[in-house]
Amino acid sequence: MAQNASLMSGVPELLVLRLLSAQEMYGYELARAVRESTRQAISLGEGVLYPALHAMETRGFVKARRRTVSGRTRVYYAITPRGNRRLGELSGEWRRIAGGVRALLEGT
Amino acid sequence: MTMQRFEGLSRRLLRAGIAPHHVKRLVVEIEAHFADLVAELRSAGLSQAESESQAAVRLGTEEVLTANILAHPELRSWARQRPWLAFVVLPLVALAVQFVLSMLAAVGVIVFSTHVLGITSLYPGPVPWVVAGLQAYGVWIAPVAAAGAACLIAARSGAPITWPVAGCTLVALLGAATNASFEWSPAGPQGVLSGGIGLHVPELGLASSLRTILTILTVLVPVLWLRRRRKELASLP
Repeated sequence: MAQNASLMSGVPELLVLRLLSAQEMYGYELARAVRESTRQAISLGEGVLYPALHAMETRGFVKARRRTVSGRTRVYYAITPRGNRRLGELSGEWRRIAGGVRALLEGT
Repeated sequence: MTMQRFEGLSRRLLRAGIAPHHVKRLVVEIEAHFADLVAELRSAGLSQAESESQAAVRLGTEEVLTANILAHPELRSWARQRPWLAFVVLPLVALAVQFVLSMLAAVGVIVFSTHVLGITSLYPGPVPWVVAGLQAYGVWIAPVAAAGAACLIAARSGAPITWPVAGCTLVALLGAATNASFEWSPAGPQGVLSGGIGLHVPELGLASSLRTILTILTVLVPVLWLRRRRKELASLP
């Protein structure tokens, strides 16, 4: 499904923070979780995910740590208190927009 | 996709100024992601070659991956984000700090020698040599060290050559304006050490110009030669 870039702006950050608020995850796990939890409606570009995670880390929204699982090194991400506040802001903004669009659609 | 491809990505990112710690971790993560994708596709029944090919498509080409990462300027190294600080301000501060510390060390040597060891100007022992060494460090070596550190940071962060050249020139000019002298005679048994940074009119001649040029040549010639050599090697097929 083609995704409108401007409409999707900010959505990857919202989805990643929402998923990480439930549990820490590594990149591949996150990409799969996004697809599954949005019923395949949204698919994050897998090459886009890592720079976005690093950028979120520099802004203090997530923190990373390396873990060795079954002999493989993985970088797990967890949400920070600042990330939780950001999630609250993004969720509110998204609900407001979604509510507006729904009201418009139901009105026609 | 092979390890060689990720090595190429790593080199591209470093050259573009992405901070080394981000590059190192991004490559580890992308490598692991690639391996996970291949395993997923293999379990869906694809051959190893088909799985690797599809995994490479899903991750994106090296150019696309690089572009995605460069879209986040906050991932660049601090030297690339604030070149004026890394290549101009810090080297000048480093030069001043080294000069002051070398002068303070010389004062410490003289005070310790005269007050604790009881050395006098009649039998000075190695004291004048040690003080001369510290003075030489402050006046001659400190500018080269400060300018060299700026060039090293520039090389690591892949910064454009303009910034380290500007920083080296300013450091060389300021370094040539430093002066230090030590006199120790029976007339002044405690010794007289003087040092300073300033533009003294009598020193604005040939000696200062030579010191400036010497510092610039010592630091910049090897750096420029290495950059040229690296470019030549990179252009080889």
